[in-house]
Amino acid sequence: MGNILAIAKRELRNYFATPVGWLSLCGYILLTGFFFSIFLGFYSEQAATMGYDPYGPAEMNVDEYLVSPFFGNANIILLFLCPALTMRLFSEDRKAKSLELLLTSPISTTEIVLGKYLGALGFVLLLFLGTLHYPALLFWMGDPDPGIMASCYLSWTMMTACFMAVGLMASSFTENQMVAMILAFGILLMFWLLGWAEGSLGSTGFQGNLKDVLSFASLVNRTEDMQKGLIHTKDLVYFGSFVAFFLFVTHQRVEAYRWR
Amino acid sequence: MIKVEKLSKRYGATTAVQELSFEVPKGEVVGFLGPNGAGKTTTMRIITGSLGATEGRVTLDGQDVFENPRQVKKRIGYLPEVPPLYTDMKVRDYVRFAARLKGVDDIKGAAEATIDRVGLAPVAHRIIDHLSKGFRQRCGVAQALVHNPDVLILDEPYSGLDPAQRMEIRDLLKELAQEDRTVILSTHVLADIEAMCERVVIINKGKMVGQGPISELTKVLGGRTITLSVARPEGLLDILSVMPGVLSVTPGDAGAISLFTEPGDIREQVAAAAVPYGLLEFSGRQSLEDIFLHLTQQAEA
Repeated sequence: MGNILAIAKRELRNYFATPVGWLSLCGYILLTGFFFSIFLGFYSEQAATMGYDPYGPAEMNVDEYLVSPFFGNANIILLFLCPALTMRLFSEDRKAKSLELLLTSPISTTEIVLGKYLGALGFVLLLFLGTLHYPALLFWMGDPDPGIMASCYLSWTMMTACFMAVGLMASSFTENQMVAMILAFGILLMFWLLGWAEGSLGSTGFQGNLKDVLSFASLVNRTEDMQKGLIHTKDLVYFGSFVAFFLFVTHQRVEAYRWR
Repeated sequence: MIKVEKLSKRYGATTAVQELSFEVPKGEVVGFLGPNGAGKTTTMRIITGSLGATEGRVTLDGQDVFENPRQVKKRIGYLPEVPPLYTDMKVRDYVRFAARLKGVDDIKGAAEATIDRVGLAPVAHRIIDHLSKGFRQRCGVAQALVHNPDVLILDEPYSGLDPAQRMEIRDLLKELAQEDRTVILSTHVLADIEAMCERVVIINKGKMVGQGPISELTKVLGGRTITLSVARPEGLLDILSVMPGVLSVTPGDAGAISLFTEPGDIREQVAAAAVPYGLLEFSGRQSLEDIFLHLTQQAEA
């Protein structure tokens, strides 16, 4: 455990040793701010119009019309950000030959993989801290449901956990960071698009069956309920298995360095 | 102590190391020699457990490197040809990180002691990326030394250093070798091996071509290079080329002649033959370099 933490800490620090960490932080806050202001503007406009509608609801639910769409749409920033954050994890280490330090130390491959994974994941969780002023604003101005808010952050965390696992795996396959990033982005985009493909299919016959399969495999669809405050065990199991699978492939890949 | 048994490593169709066997007793400093691509680095990486062998095994006091990697790795310090540095870290953080990974109990104490030991104290607060090559090499040594291992594996520790840095690193490594450590050192600078090592293992194309104490190797395999210069070379060349024990004679400019001999000392005979022709200079050197060339060429033939 100590070794895992030591490696994680080193990876986490590395982000701040280069401009990468600070740029990501700025970019992430800027982009989420952009999304937040768009949805906030949209929400207040709707709410204002609604006041003149005699048949409309008495008030517009802030969770349903602001929190959920904001968190759901801001997912896409992570889709672009995560591959950029994971690309160097193994690629750079191998290219600079510094991986040799880890491989000749009395630590296991599992510790190396988990250390790097948790370090990178930890960095994104730090980024999330930079978004806490949005909920703070809403709590100050309105009355959102704290449970839903927490569930939304959980959905981001789960999604990032999956993205980072794919990115780590991609990075273990090549010494070229650019290739690692493109590979990770390609895989993630595929999982992303599964959700779209599913939406365009009919619900009966073969199309229906295919729709079920795609809907099951889609990563994004899993976060939708969570961003409404609904945490299914099956979704957690899905995310857990997803991460475990890609970490396992990474582990096997790193083991294979010794055999080539 | 270190026992390499019938070690083979193949990368696809190419064989990097083939049935290599040798032993290194405790406390001995062994020079590992061979031309580039001979399989030195591969062998060293297998010994340190960073690479798996295709066949054969490596044991440290009877413990297999691949069956008990944790125990064995704790006892080995490895300096690869390219030091495994995280160049974005500060020296002190890096050494502490290495100490942590190597399973040292007193991380801070061990790191400070190592930093002092290898002469990194003046730059301990600096980022490795900003250091000179010599200091970086010291960081590499620090990483190999921080857990006070009884085995040191050094792969080309002098490559890319300028002469002053080379001297410093050589002195440092000499000191470390004297502290009852078992050391395997690879280099192609033979002077370094002659200065430090008690024994050499010579490999070429993945195969052992010779091993033994330096003194014995020079005795058994000791072809000698004799260079002389005479005032009147005419006629002497014919005499030397038929002299028993002489393998080859090469005439040079202005009466210089160099010849390579079979094992056995025939300096006296050569000198006696050369005196009537006006002998001006004479030297007969017997170096690892010549043996090395001789052995690797023989293995090729």
